[in-house]
Amino acid sequence: MNAKLGAKPFDSTRIIRLIGGLLFLYLFLGFMLLPCLSTLTSIFTAKDASGKTDPLAVIRFFLAGNMGKYVLNSLKLAVLLVITVNLVGISIVLLTEYFDIKGARILRLGYMTTMIYSGVALVTGYMFLYAGDGILTTALKNAFPGFSSKWFSGFNAVLFTMTFACTSNHMLFLRNAIRGIDYNTVEAARNMGASPFKVLFKVVFPTLLPTLFSLTVMVFITGLCAMSAPTLLGYDSINPEIVRLAGSSTADEAFPQARAALLSIILAAFTIVLLTVLSRYERKGHYLSVSKTKAKLQKQKITNPIANVLAHIYAYLLFIIYMTPVVMIVVFSFRSWESVKARSLSKGGWTLLNFFGSQDYQYQAASGKMKVREGAITGVFANKDTLGGIQTSFILSVIAAALACVIVVIACNYIFKNKQKKRSVLVEYALLFPWLLPTILICYSYRVFFNSDSVWYVFGQNLYYGDRVRILIVIAYMVVKLPFSLRMIKASFYTIDEELEDAAKNLGAGPLKTFIQVKLPIILPSVLAVFALNFNALFTEYDMSATFNSAHGRTYAMIIQSMVQDEGMSYTNLNASGRRCASTVFIMIVSGLILYLVYGVGARDLSERLVSREKRRQLARKLKGLFVKKEKVNDP
Amino acid sequence: MIQMKDIVVKFDDFTALHKINVQVNEGEFFTFLGPSGCGKTTTLRTLTGFITPTEGRVFVRDRDITDVPIEKRNIGIVFQSYALFPTMTVYDNIAFGLKIKKLKKPEIDQKVRTIAKKVDLSDEQLAKAVSQLSGGQQQRVAIARALVTEPDIICLDEPLSNLDAKLRVQLREELKKMQREFGITSIYVTHDQEEALTLSDRIAVFNKGVIEQIGTPNDIYNHSATEFVCNFIGDINRLSDQVVRRLIDGGAKLDPKWHHYIRLERVHVNETPKGGAQTLRGRVESREYYGLYIKYYIDLGSQIIKVMERNDGVHIYDPGETVQVNIDPGDLMSYAPAGEEGQS
Repeated sequence: MNAKLGAKPFDSTRIIRLIGGLLFLYLFLGFMLLPCLSTLTSIFTAKDASGKTDPLAVIRFFLAGNMGKYVLNSLKLAVLLVITVNLVGISIVLLTEYFDIKGARILRLGYMTTMIYSGVALVTGYMFLYAGDGILTTALKNAFPGFSSKWFSGFNAVLFTMTFACTSNHMLFLRNAIRGIDYNTVEAARNMGASPFKVLFKVVFPTLLPTLFSLTVMVFITGLCAMSAPTLLGYDSINPEIVRLAGSSTADEAFPQARAALLSIILAAFTIVLLTVLSRYERKGHYLSVSKTKAKLQKQKITNPIANVLAHIYAYLLFIIYMTPVVMIVVFSFRSWESVKARSLSKGGWTLLNFFGSQDYQYQAASGKMKVREGAITGVFANKDTLGGIQTSFILSVIAAALACVIVVIACNYIFKNKQKKRSVLVEYALLFPWLLPTILICYSYRVFFNSDSVWYVFGQNLYYGDRVRILIVIAYMVVKLPFSLRMIKASFYTIDEELEDAAKNLGAGPLKTFIQVKLPIILPSVLAVFALNFNALFTEYDMSATFNSAHGRTYAMIIQSMVQDEGMSYTNLNASGRRCASTVFIMIVSGLILYLVYGVGARDLSERLVSREKRRQLARKLKGLFVKKEKVNDP
Repeated sequence: MIQMKDIVVKFDDFTALHKINVQVNEGEFFTFLGPSGCGKTTTLRTLTGFITPTEGRVFVRDRDITDVPIEKRNIGIVFQSYALFPTMTVYDNIAFGLKIKKLKKPEIDQKVRTIAKKVDLSDEQLAKAVSQLSGGQQQRVAIARALVTEPDIICLDEPLSNLDAKLRVQLREELKKMQREFGITSIYVTHDQEEALTLSDRIAVFNKGVIEQIGTPNDIYNHSATEFVCNFIGDINRLSDQVVRRLIDGGAKLDPKWHHYIRLERVHVNETPKGGAQTLRGRVESREYYGLYIKYYIDLGSQIIKVMERNDGVHIYDPGETVQVNIDPGDLMSYAPAGEEGQS
């Protein structure tokens, strides 16, 4: 017999564990493995014109037809994005963190704007400026009548937009990496006669390589899986094609579903290979500072005056590119309908109409008579569709973000309690599994697999039918967010001192009480942060809801996208541009608030909270004192 | 009061404890001392209930508690890291165990404030987060939390190991004072022999899962039962075969095959030999100045012997100086080599 660590007699926790295990298995097999496997098999079960199953039909079609074009286009975008995003991303980090550039703080704020608006909001923002009817294009057309209004479309537009949209990770991770460099190594190199640029290439860059490699892989995958920019700007890449094929029928073209499946499997294969390469590279280890007394990095002055001026010009040029859409969107979100419609500040006035309230629309009918459509010009919170989209996105995102956190917290608690056991490794791998799959594959698989009455483990219900699609969206959102939640929450579990659990046990607390009263409060800030970040990402999410493409699951991002698509068509979507601007501002406020709550308020520990509570009390006492004094003065 | 009988703890193929037998008296300050991995913490965890022994029984006041759950053993623990709950205030940390016991609020409040007073924690400190306290204050909170539930025994698992040297000495004294005040039976785990010697009424020295010796600090230091104990406790000189031979030639009755040790302070320099002390000639190789004492490294030809002399400000010897080294064979601790039985 061996010694038992904290041995306890048989109790109800074993039953709870069993139920939890079965639920977990249900989730993994039913909503991760089976739908994706079904997608994979559908490629080889396509039927030819005679109704016979032809396992290689889709492959032959792929090789013979133009399907390869979508893959090549996506690869082209991914490869070029790696170059452009790294160029811009490394530049903005060096300009704000490494080189001494005047006004770096303001520049940093500008470069970080993509952290508060991304995806559809960002693309439509860029379109508001650069598209055929955009502010800049309109101004250029007015100045140069021969200027093509379609200059901002297709591949170049996608590449341009995504280049600036995808630098958020550089601002987060590369910035941290560069700030972690031991300044003594820079000083040592300078002391040995190296010029600032030599130091940059020989000392600084090698230490940043692991981070840069990770970022490069992530950018490549982002490019490969791009959805909103190609859809809105018109570029034939894999994801928009999958969505198109998923909505097509065999009456229109040859086995569209199987082709969509093949394309999503190709995406998955690329993702798996890239992530495997990345994890192998990460396992090799990083360049760790061996310094015992790390010195803080000091900004490097560019000694060559010409290089210094050029660097400043480049920095501010990038700042203008980053800031112009933001400024324009914010400004125009407060402009009247006439001003937004004309893309001009000289017409109309300032208003809150794009956010709240409505206005009548006057127009001249074919008969020549002036007619009025009452309340046709609406703001974000007065427009039924937009409000519905916000509501749908809000509810689905809150539920999914919360579920992902709950599942991961329970799983992490299990993983840490069973550290040495193989089954805890299995649980961890199962939760990381969706990381290997492009979101589009998961959503496409759900759309096809659950669009049936014969899935027994969901009680034969067609989950793609009607409002039930919302359940599918919630599950898809949740599944997609599991790997990120696991990585973040697991890290917070490491901060729990193992002796705390022993201490609680010694003081008489059972496992549940220990978890709720001791462990959960420690990890709660991280859990809430993960919840907020998950919500932030899902609230404006477009790719997944577009893949489901259901009228019953029209999310906020889909509504924003429709504001671009329908605008101007017989004025059916009046003031869509105004609402688009206001929506982007609303998203910026929500994201900004969440980031502040996560990194500002949420990062405070108990001592900081107690200090601020004391400050609030003191202020309240002061105010009360003033009030009492006043009362006394007033009292005759 | 505590009796651990024939305790064996096995983890798969590894035996962590081999038939441990310990008896601790009521009110005693008892220390488990030994190097890392010797089994002292495993013994403590067996006593507190975190580990169920493979063999043997644990008794407290003649009651067999081997199968009693952790929370029902009424043993308070002060952990190495203090294990203070970082999301709770000092007050809530101390009150945690009382709340679990579902005591009424006024009673909890009264108990928390009483114990806080005893360990010198102010009302202001009770309202603070534990991270706002110094290391010493945190230790007092940990002690208060362990004592507030009025346990029969308090176990302290290396509570001073994370502190700097100065604070360690200061808290050591406070700890002893507190233990005397509360009069509670205390089990202290440490790898620091100085801590063990200064704090304990009795010490159990552990090595490789067995207890080498149980005794008072004086027994352990001056009458080390085994060669391991004698080496582990304090600084010591093992005499070379040549030095032993010279002592035998001078009339000492020593077995040349055995290992002979002498404490640094038992060797004297340039003193008139007392009793049966024998004199050897040596040359000062180097010296270390400690203020109250001076440590000399003296070359006896066949070995460098360490000597700790009281600093009287007059008799200070420089490196290179020839000195007389006095060793009394009666001060030696001698052990038979491994495989042979015996100790003298």
